[in-house]
Amino acid sequence: MGKKRKLMKVYPIEENCVSCRYCEVACTMVHSKSKDPVKAYKLENLLPRATVEVKGAVSLSLMCRHCKHPFCFDSCISGAIQVDENGQVHLDEEKCVGCWNCVLVCPFGAAHPYVSEEKRHSFKCDLCGDRGFPACVEACPNRALVYDYER
Amino acid sequence: MKYVIVGNSAAAVGCITGIRKVDKESPITVISYESSCYSKPMIADVLIDIPQEKLIYRDEKFFEENKVELILGHRAVKVNTDSKVVVLDSNELVPYDKLLISTGAKPFIPPIPGADRKGVFTFTELSSALAFKDYIKKNGVEEVVVVGSGFIGLEVAYFLAKIGVKVTVVELLERALAKALDERSSQIVETLMKEEGVEFIFKDSVAEILGDEKVSSVKLGSGKVLKAGAVVIAVGVRPNTELAQTAGVKVNAGIETDGHMETSVKDIYAAGDCIECLDITDGKVKPLPLFPLAFEQGFVAGLNMAGKEMEYLGGLPLNSLKFLPVPVLNAGIVTPPDSSYEVFVNDRFEEKGFYRKAILKDGKLVGFVAVGQIDRVGILTNLIRQKIDVSPVKERLVELDFGLVDLPQWWREEKLKQDKTAYKDWRAV
Ligand SMILES: Cc1cc2nc3c(=O)[nH]c(=O)nc-3n(C[C@H](O)[C@H](O)[C@H](O)COP(=O)(O)OP(=O)(O)OC[C@H]3O[C@@H](n4cnc5c(N)ncnc54)[C@H](O)[C@@H]3O)c2cc1C
Ligand code: SF4
Ligand code: SF4
Repeated sequence: MGKKRKLMKVYPIEENCVSCRYCEVACTMVHSKSKDPVKAYKLENLLPRATVEVKGAVSLSLMCRHCKHPFCFDSCISGAIQVDENGQVHLDEEKCVGCWNCVLVCPFGAAHPYVSEEKRHSFKCDLCGDRGFPACVEACPNRALVYDYER
Repeated sequence: MKYVIVGNSAAAVGCITGIRKVDKESPITVISYESSCYSKPMIADVLIDIPQEKLIYRDEKFFEENKVELILGHRAVKVNTDSKVVVLDSNELVPYDKLLISTGAKPFIPPIPGADRKGVFTFTELSSALAFKDYIKKNGVEEVVVVGSGFIGLEVAYFLAKIGVKVTVVELLERALAKALDERSSQIVETLMKEEGVEFIFKDSVAEILGDEKVSSVKLGSGKVLKAGAVVIAVGVRPNTELAQTAGVKVNAGIETDGHMETSVKDIYAAGDCIECLDITDGKVKPLPLFPLAFEQGFVAGLNMAGKEMEYLGGLPLNSLKFLPVPVLNAGIVTPPDSSYEVFVNDRFEEKGFYRKAILKDGKLVGFVAVGQIDRVGILTNLIRQKIDVSPVKERLVELDFGLVDLPQWWREEKLKQDKTAYKDWRAV
């Protein structure tokens, strides 16, 4: 049977979250072309891959869990979603055809739809693969997000 | 151990994935009469000239990496369970220790006189989609009649309208997608389709397909005659169980399987559109020909074939009208069958462009519809799957910002902190 996976992912700690949404801003910025938080929202119409949820006193930031059994992978009709040998779940936005199956089945609501005039595809947390370290974790002033080995 | 899979689509790829989680080495042979592993839900895109390579679901590299031997262009015609071999149409014998039957579904063709005329098509395989496209191009077809307003019929109609073909959908029931959608969302879909130029005729049927050698018009039950250069019959699919029957496997509405996806015959498993499966939302066993389910069933079959025991979670209707500009998603039961169900509606479609509806039974979510704004609705799908008591937050289920903060704290503890996201962790609580 498969050996233990060596995967690091982002863990939310709801006790520490004050819903400042710095993680959302950082996420949008690093995934933008301009690398500017305002331009990313306003001009590039980008949306964060981390979602801060708030209800009364509880809040937390949620992003793709890179599930051990990713339902998004089962459901993906284009082959855009793939799992690598470490268990990281990748979504190729170019290959995606925007069928929304992953949005329909992700138990965490972590695969999001993106619709614009020219494009439609889904998007989700990529663990900042290009950057080496998740920007949301860096941006969080309250240690409400930690980057840690899979449990 | 020698694994053989008949079929080369969603369920087959799920099965290969499942087997290779457990057994990295033993040979796997895949048999299919089609020449590639393409994405079946995407075949209607050929009408709008999608490049063929974009239709590929798994390329050669996938099969190489997973050490899969492909036998393509050949039909499996018989399974001999005594000698444990699959017989091909070339008379070649393919021995197996564990066999997966994932032969998919076949289009249902009602007995309409004239249905054998040239220009009458079904639309469930790449070859049929290409043949249809070729026919309308070569014959300069300007008018098409689509029989049936299911997902396939509507998708074909929508793309035809997009490329400027006049298309009429003829539907026996009183509205579009009557079996899959509730009245409101079906009305929204109809409006969107009409905006693209698709016409509908409801509560009528095609009584006869007229023409000489080629179809030229159709006559409806009401007596009305519609000009038609081609006809697409899309009134549903039925499990393709022919091969299973040669093995003496028990077949009802589809191939019967147990919780491990094993059929009534030892060492023969089945998955995908060819089987009947438990719908966890109404407890009935029925064909649920859907891509995500086919993959998942194949995956579970693969684990079990390779010796890792795993119980299938059960299926549920999961639909996305992927061709429409406005997303329309639904899962489970969308119209309450009786008054014991609770219904919550948040209809802001006219002002804000979204509609949400949730259906509950005994404090548990059994279905929903989401139109327009669909972000994060997978949370709802999982609530159906895990049968979590949502009575404390039931009014919130149709709000756009419904989220994990609305779920019990133990759920977040288990899923987020402890990473309980393996297949078995998604069982009903
Ligand atoms: C136009 C269209 C649109 C669709 N859109 C959606 C959608 O948006 N969402 C969704 O969830 N589902 C959709 N579906 C349904 C989805 O495609 C199926 O549920 C899914 O493909 C089922 O996978 P499967 O592996 O069970 O079988 P199939 O995909 O049907 O594949 C069957 C395989 O078996 C092979 N085969 C059959 N018999 C034999 C034999 N005797 N010998 C050798 N090979 C054999 C075939 O060549 C094929 O490779 C759509 C279907 C169609 C036709
Ligand atoms: S998108 Fe959702 S289902 Fe897919 S791996 Fe991430 S959390 Fe899991
Ligand atoms: S929306 Fe894109 S990534 Fe998601 S399942 Fe469909 S094709 Fe795959």
